[in-house]
Amino acid sequence: MKTSIKVVLGNEAIATGALAAGVSVAAAYPGTPSTEILESIAKYGKGVYTEWSSNEKVAFETAYGAAMVGARAMASMKHVGVNVASDSVSSSSYTGVEGSLVLVSADDPSMWSSQNEQDNRYFGLQYLIPVVEPYDPQSAHLLTLRSFQLSDSLKHPVMLRTNTRVSHVRAPVEILPPAEPVKGKLMKDPHRYVLAPENARRDRKEQLKRWERAKSMVEELNEIEGEGRTLVIASGIGYPYVKEALEDLHLRAAILKLSTPVPIPRRLILKALESADVVALVEELDPVVEMQLKSIMFEEDVRVKFFGKDLLGREGELTLDRTRRFLGKVFNVDVPEVPSLEVAVPPRPPAMCSGCPHRSSFIDLKKGLTSAGLGKSFISGDIGCYTLGVLPPFDSMDSGTDMGSSLGLANGVYRATGEVDVAVIGDSTFFHSGLSALANAVYNNLPVMVVVLDNRSTAMTGQQPSPSKEIDIAGVARSLGVEYVKVIDPFDTSNSVKVFTEAAKWVKTNNKPAVVVAKRACALDAMDNVEGKPPVALVELTKCTGCSICYDFFTCPAIIPREDKKALIDPDECIGCGACVPVCPFKAIRIEGDEPMGWREAWLG
Amino acid sequence: MEGSLVRVNLLLAGVGGQGLITMGKIIAEACSLSNTRVLVAETHGLAQRGGAVNVHVRIGDVMAPLIPLGEANYLVALEAMEALRNINYCNKETNIVLNREVVRPVVPKVKMLSIKDVSDTLAGYRTFTVDASKMAHEAGNPRAANVVMIGFLYGLGAFRDLVDRGSFLKAVRSETNVRAFEAGEGIAMASRLTASL
Repeated sequence: MKTSIKVVLGNEAIATGALAAGVSVAAAYPGTPSTEILESIAKYGKGVYTEWSSNEKVAFETAYGAAMVGARAMASMKHVGVNVASDSVSSSSYTGVEGSLVLVSADDPSMWSSQNEQDNRYFGLQYLIPVVEPYDPQSAHLLTLRSFQLSDSLKHPVMLRTNTRVSHVRAPVEILPPAEPVKGKLMKDPHRYVLAPENARRDRKEQLKRWERAKSMVEELNEIEGEGRTLVIASGIGYPYVKEALEDLHLRAAILKLSTPVPIPRRLILKALESADVVALVEELDPVVEMQLKSIMFEEDVRVKFFGKDLLGREGELTLDRTRRFLGKVFNVDVPEVPSLEVAVPPRPPAMCSGCPHRSSFIDLKKGLTSAGLGKSFISGDIGCYTLGVLPPFDSMDSGTDMGSSLGLANGVYRATGEVDVAVIGDSTFFHSGLSALANAVYNNLPVMVVVLDNRSTAMTGQQPSPSKEIDIAGVARSLGVEYVKVIDPFDTSNSVKVFTEAAKWVKTNNKPAVVVAKRACALDAMDNVEGKPPVALVELTKCTGCSICYDFFTCPAIIPREDKKALIDPDECIGCGACVPVCPFKAIRIEGDEPMGWREAWLG
Repeated sequence: MEGSLVRVNLLLAGVGGQGLITMGKIIAEACSLSNTRVLVAETHGLAQRGGAVNVHVRIGDVMAPLIPLGEANYLVALEAMEALRNINYCNKETNIVLNREVVRPVVPKVKMLSIKDVSDTLAGYRTFTVDASKMAHEAGNPRAANVVMIGFLYGLGAFRDLVDRGSFLKAVRSETNVRAFEAGEGIAMASRLTASL
């Protein structure tokens, strides 16, 4: 087969691996660090159906359904997305599939872009699904293909578990050519796929049989390298760290390179243990391999000196420093700690972009709540760029725990306190898992002001489309029975403040939910959709008093203070959106230049 | 680290949106064109938006994606203050290359540091300050400060014999980028000359 070498991101290596395996249906919900997988399949796959589903459960079910009728299918998502999909992931392990079904879970150790660093290899143990774990883009490419093959042979789902340091590493990769997509054909097997108790009990027996086969089939995906009386077992991303650390410390050991942390290859492990006096296990996050390994050692009465999580720790991503220190202790070699310097540097958290409609929405919301006498309300937030509303100067978010949680948590806070609260949710998150919670708010009469920040896209992960492009959120709210529904343009400050005030008062008076949809496109998206040079904002220095409101209380990145505290607008950063104009109490900011073609449509269409 | 193994660790630091990912991409592309192994670990997602970002580039006999603390051979800061945030990746032999530019964090009432503050804090380190943003402007592409810096690194000899010049010229693609690369390379040569006098 003719391969080609290309510099790609780990996620593109996974995508091209899936294409080489003949994937024909791929679905996903965007989430860092998984997003580029579906993007790349959509870009490079010929004759492959791809979709951004409304949430991870729907994405997984799309792949699962396709695999039921014999297709090669894949669903990809970030680690916490698997929580959302887990109900059907569990069922897929009971029924198995006719084709092949690969679930890609992109984990995020150290939480670079996530609310937790849960270790999704546990799903494999819990649902009896083999977990395959690559360690770099090249291995990710090959192991994606192997995951499809494994699933195909077992007729069972397989999880490919990647992480930030595989998915978001760029490297030259030898890429296999795409295969003809393997589609399904209509077939029925209700005794297997309808999990009524009688069927489920039969499926359970079949599931356990497949699991036994999986245990022996994973053996060939793992290998032993080198020799020595010390055996280092390195799982996934642990492998490159172990290889380099051993080189750096001039140590010799046998390495068991583990690509299947669930289930671990029993025969190969027993073989490796035969010549080992000491066993050191390097795995990131939780002791998933360690638990299985200790159980095998106990059953086989293997007694060796063992080093694992007790020494390596389970918090945060692996690093070379950490692996060296760990192996230093295993081999009794001194590895000096690198001295750490404390240098004062101004904080630089991520920020809403210039022209971001959320900035205006939060400022307007704050004013509206204050004038309605609800300035101290609990604001239950959600997951998206707007989670940055927690930061100063907005300080407008009191919780933000998981996708779609804003409304449910607001319900709990109200039931426990009797205080009217606010739920803030984005458009993509609304369709992801906010819908059913809004239905609950209507059904159970929750006095809550729901603010849907509709920027027309799934912005945080790179402006993937959102159902809001096709489905009108105000219409959805009305049809669910919400009596107060209004749509505002967050840049139209005076009207927005008026509506927020009115809505908050309406909730207090009527003890029912109200929905305000703040509708304006993501600034990055809007700028992609206009032709020509945008206008620019200018400060009239004679009018500017240096009050600092625009740069300290509105905080558009384009507005910076001059030495004399007056405002200066950086023309390279300003996109001429005009959001700052009504913010200045001295009318010192004006917009100069003509609106380019498609300007209004790009922002408000 | 030693023996026959050759590794170059480049840490690229800056603010989301400054072109750090593109900078990593260009270096990876050039390495690939020179048949040299390379790993570029990027920061994606929320951190892109005006937040502090770093990209780990490892070239040569490397397997692990992240640079160990204290072992960067070069630290390039497209925004000068970001050099300080990443100082624990440096040792006294590290070459620290600062872009003569500070960007105000989007934080109310933030206390800024000047280029001079940054340089003073880095006293005792081997530091270079480059007008990369200005030179990019002059080269005809205001967004090419990253390419000026790649040229500067090349001029300093950062890539040893692992990546050849032609690979870079091919990887940067556009004509203005080639000019930006050459501008950076030129002042690096000049500063090497001064250093050796």
